[in-house]
Amino acid sequence: MLVKIVEGGKEFSLPGKAGLAVILVVLLAAILAPYISIHPHNISSGPPLVPPGGGHPLGTDELGIDLWAQLCYGARVSLLVGFGTALLAALGGGLIGIVSGYLGGWPDKVFMRLIDIMIVLPDLPVMIVLAAFFGPSLLNIIFVLALFSWVFPARIVRSQILMVKERSYIKSAETYGAGVWYLLGKHFLPEVFPLVAVNMIRLSGRAIVAEAGLSFLGLGDPTSKSWGLIIHHATNFKGIYYTDFWKWWLLYPWLALIIMVISLALISRELERMVDPRLGR
Amino acid sequence: MSRKWLSIALLLVISLSLLLFGCGTDQAGDDRKPDGAKGGGQQPVEMIRLAGGDWGYPSPYAHYPRGPGIFKMGLIFDGLLERDEKGLIPWLAEKYEIKEGGKQYLFTIRDGVKWQDGKPLTAGDVKFTFEYASKHPMVSSYIGAEDIEKVEVVGDRQVLITVSEPNAAMLYNLGLTRIIPKHIWENVDNPKEFTKPEAVIGTGPYRLTDYNKEHGTYRFEAFEDFWGPGQRVKVIEFVPVSEEILAFEKGEIDLAGVTPDVLPRFQNDPQYKIVVNPGFWGYRLLFNMGEYPALRQRELRQAIASAIDAKELIEKVARGAAVPGSAGILPPDHVMYNPDVRQYDLDLKKAEELLVKLGYDRLDQNGIRQNQSGEKLSFNMLVGEEVRLAEVLKEQLAKAGIEIKVQSVDMKTRDARVRNNEYQLAIIGHGGWGNDPDYLRERFAGRSRGGLSPSASGLRGYNNDELNNLLEKQRLEMDDQKRKQLIFKIQEILAEDVPEIPLYYTTGYNVFRPAKYDGWMFMFDHHSLTHSKLSYLERG
Repeated sequence: MLVKIVEGGKEFSLPGKAGLAVILVVLLAAILAPYISIHPHNISSGPPLVPPGGGHPLGTDELGIDLWAQLCYGARVSLLVGFGTALLAALGGGLIGIVSGYLGGWPDKVFMRLIDIMIVLPDLPVMIVLAAFFGPSLLNIIFVLALFSWVFPARIVRSQILMVKERSYIKSAETYGAGVWYLLGKHFLPEVFPLVAVNMIRLSGRAIVAEAGLSFLGLGDPTSKSWGLIIHHATNFKGIYYTDFWKWWLLYPWLALIIMVISLALISRELERMVDPRLGR
Repeated sequence: MSRKWLSIALLLVISLSLLLFGCGTDQAGDDRKPDGAKGGGQQPVEMIRLAGGDWGYPSPYAHYPRGPGIFKMGLIFDGLLERDEKGLIPWLAEKYEIKEGGKQYLFTIRDGVKWQDGKPLTAGDVKFTFEYASKHPMVSSYIGAEDIEKVEVVGDRQVLITVSEPNAAMLYNLGLTRIIPKHIWENVDNPKEFTKPEAVIGTGPYRLTDYNKEHGTYRFEAFEDFWGPGQRVKVIEFVPVSEEILAFEKGEIDLAGVTPDVLPRFQNDPQYKIVVNPGFWGYRLLFNMGEYPALRQRELRQAIASAIDAKELIEKVARGAAVPGSAGILPPDHVMYNPDVRQYDLDLKKAEELLVKLGYDRLDQNGIRQNQSGEKLSFNMLVGEEVRLAEVLKEQLAKAGIEIKVQSVDMKTRDARVRNNEYQLAIIGHGGWGNDPDYLRERFAGRSRGGLSPSASGLRGYNNDELNNLLEKQRLEMDDQKRKQLIFKIQEILAEDVPEIPLYYTTGYNVFRPAKYDGWMFMFDHHSLTHSKLSYLERG
């Protein structure tokens, strides 16, 4: 599947390619974080609040911790939360969508009403409450975010299954004695996967922003060093806007976050265009 | 093609917003309108606005036990005595006499004082207050259940208080206990739940006219029939503020605390005045010796003290605006500060020696010290919003092979958990370090007066007989010089024993516009300008 996406990348327009490139760069930064960050990311390596340049390419924060190193390691957190949430939500949501679409009847009704409820619930306030309740840890945050994300893939998958189920080739396969698992593997999943993949990209963008938001509010994992947490510490620094410090301490994590989310959005648009011909051209 | 344009437009928007971002702060720099009239003498002002926040309903039983809550209550309620720059001054009591070597206190109550509901203050109210406060300790409690033997009304306007034992700090404690009206409180059985409008009727210079818990706003208006000095400020409002300095520059609030980084903006500008706080607000590192026997080892606590570099903490977290903690607890600005006690400067060698002596002589693969039976020097540290402080401490202690796991909760949760001893190590910051040194007895001899203030949170599991004796002795010592000697000795023992580590005392900067209002003053033992009642009143 990954190969398919990469192959598809060739058909991407310029913004799509740019988005893909940015995500690849971020991915590399995250993977290679220990090698490309000159300084440690969790202990101080210089005087506090050094402007960019010299030994610290992006400067240091008020504890003297290198900002570049924090950004590299922060990319790990952002990607982990983004894709972790998306994967969890897609798996759970996809499963529920398939069950509900294929079985129909009361399971369908129950799941659909549950989805309605989840959509109506305002997610950020509930997430804040849950994050505060479960305590700040990365795993909990992924879990909480996934809890609010599974409804989107579930609905898409269900509608797709409902449609595919009535197709004549499925009907004929059924008459030849194809079982549920056979249909699932041979027909449903290939039909559904592209749509879910698009949705996953979109969800991961959402999750990254939500994690940054929770960290910014001080509800994230205080030891995780995510981008949102850097922004949290920077904005909590008294009077930061009256000093020059925001020009690196606040600006760089903020830029990283924005660029990453925009790239994800561009990629998801591209994929959407390719998968769904109605949007295309 | 349209998509291409879209992305270009998006890029434009981003860069534009960046530009605007930059401009916004620059503009703020030029936004300094010179104020015309300079206030000479003691001109009254219509309104002062200060940064708000919810500190509870300002009745003596419902406010939050921290400075901003205590002093808001103090605007409404008077004590028999009040604090000015130098010490205690007569307030609701015209004069007082200490009799029987400190066993009895005779207060003469001022005539013509009115409660804010129009009823006159009587000696009966004073008697009632002390009896009620012994039964139900006030949030910011100065007297405990056993402190007072009996209270008698003598004649018309005098109250004779007999205390159980003489106590050097008793005048301060009796004097600052807020007097509450008998006709309102006598039928209240659960004062903490009593938050009706009558609960905030005192004799003080200000009446509460608005309180909003959700927004954290308060409005106090001058009480016309106040007995004392006239109010220079007619209305005091506490408004919600997200960025204090911005709000101050825009004139939304009239006083702001600023960090050294922002100081140059206000220096050398005649329209601003900068005042430095005395270091009476400090952070301390607590050890829960009750639940964790390992922490009872004095050498371990000494080693931790030796591994902490207070200078780095101050440079990084307080941005230079603080003085290092004294191992003798009392801060350098305190009248009874002993400058000659043992201090623990950063000395990793010494820390290592001490730890090895305790048997923590090997390092595991992460560099954490452990002893022969594999017990690691690894502790959980509970902090409120001081995550950054904890991070630096973690880094410093790691160098000595001590692992710290930081657990951060919100301030009120941290305060409550410290109060209930639900922590291993904790950092807590609060004021009150300049108060009468009898607070050392509360902290280290387990003699809490039942107050909820974080400065009164004692240590469980700590016991030093010699120290206890001295703490009892200083209390009974009515001679100031002799008492000072005892307090000096107590500081020496504390510095040797390290039952807790004061990290640093903050000396922040306050900025205000003297043309708008210049009545600000510090009480002799307190760190904040806005907390003094006399800051808002005419001065003789």
